Amino acid sequence: MDDYLKIANSGMVWLLCSITVFIALLQAILYMRMARKTALEANIPQDVVKTSFRIGLISAIGPAMGVFIVMVGLMAAIGGPMAWTRLSIIGAAPTELTAATFGAQASGVELGGPGYGLTAMAVSWFTMALNGAGWLVFTGLFTPSLEKLREKMSGGDTKWLIVLSGACSLGIFGYLNNNEIVKGGGNALASICGALCMVFLVKCVVPKCPKLMEYSLGIAMIAGMACAVVFDVMAGK
Amino acid sequence: MENKFLVEWKRSCVRIGAPTNLIAAATAFIPVLWLCSTYDCWPALNTVLAAWGMVVLSFGAFYIVEPISYYAALGMSGTYLSFLSGNIGNMRVPVAALALDSTSSQPGTLQAEVASTMAICGSIITNLAFTTMAAIVGAAVVSILPQFIVTALTRYAAAAIFGGTFGNFAIKYPKIAIFAIGIPFVLKMTTGLPAWVLIVASVFGSLAVARFFYVREGKAA
Repeated sequence: MDDYLKIANSGMVWLLCSITVFIALLQAILYMRMARKTALEANIPQDVVKTSFRIGLISAIGPAMGVFIVMVGLMAAIGGPMAWTRLSIIGAAPTELTAATFGAQASGVELGGPGYGLTAMAVSWFTMALNGAGWLVFTGLFTPSLEKLREKMSGGDTKWLIVLSGACSLGIFGYLNNNEIVKGGGNALASICGALCMVFLVKCVVPKCPKLMEYSLGIAMIAGMACAVVFDVMAGK
Repeated sequence: MENKFLVEWKRSCVRIGAPTNLIAAATAFIPVLWLCSTYDCWPALNTVLAAWGMVVLSFGAFYIVEPISYYAALGMSGTYLSFLSGNIGNMRVPVAALALDSTSSQPGTLQAEVASTMAICGSIITNLAFTTMAAIVGAAVVSILPQFIVTALTRYAAAAIFGGTFGNFAIKYPKIAIFAIGIPFVLKMTTGLPAWVLIVASVFGSLAVARFFYVREGKAA
């Protein structure tokens, strides 16, 4: 019974899924307009606007290529249009696959297995939408409260605010890197080499060639991935 | 002067972000509502609730913990943008942090808000371009890529980005960095705590350590 995938890949589903992708794009366009306008009014150099935009555009290419490949796998499981919307908004591929799988399990079948028909697929789709809504509704309603929380924690001390932002980021990336390091092998190597390469670039290379700062993360990413792949080859995997 | 602009900036952030995030939460249901009404395949309410319960058990804590933990790194516009478009750890925070460094913007200032917003928007455009390409030519491209590139991109790209971003922050705050990586490591090795507790412990543990050093150095100065 592959009928469900035929329907999941139909033109109408593409069209309906594009609505949510469009809203993500629209929001980015609205914020860019606002940032450009604010920069003009507040006399922030145009260079800041342009450089930052270029950094976002270029540095995201590496991780976006990863999303590209993962999405091809996801398309086979939940259909093209659904994979496209789900990976264009909150929820990475493993999260979406988990939600789709739970939908199937609640229906008493396996995702894509025998008995997985339209009704089970509907449960999977509902589950993915409900799961994504968790983050969207929380941030949609409570982001101003988070700002108040930050103001309260910084207590108007701008020097502390800077340290606070750095400490929060370190905490998050400490957690994320730790996940990779405890996996061992290529993952640990990618994370450690990425970090060492970044430290080397920022400490030794960027002071001589400041323009390189923009590309530092991209270079560190490639170096980390290369070390991991070489390790895999040497380990004979 | 700067203050007046910042107040206005924050107000506009909410005016754009709050409705778009809430509308996107709703529009994500359109395809499934169409599916059920066209093919008359409405599932039993109990089944949907059961599946919903399972995802809330797995991810529910993250709905709250992630926006709080990432807030200081993303700012207001960045929070709306990142939690609509996703890919927060591997794309949005790294590009926002890099933009602040490259333009010498101090966190909390209006210039920092503009820089991180532009960087995050740039990364969203790239992401949307790649997912749209994947939808059109994805299967054909992946079938001709050598295996090691597929492995590198799917398994190691995120790890390398996490490392690079951590390294850049560690240069600025080496003492805090030791605790930031040490706290989750020790907890993971010695306890069976769930992931969301580890995030909270890493972020607020690092914050407490930072506060300790900040106060002590303030007294010494």
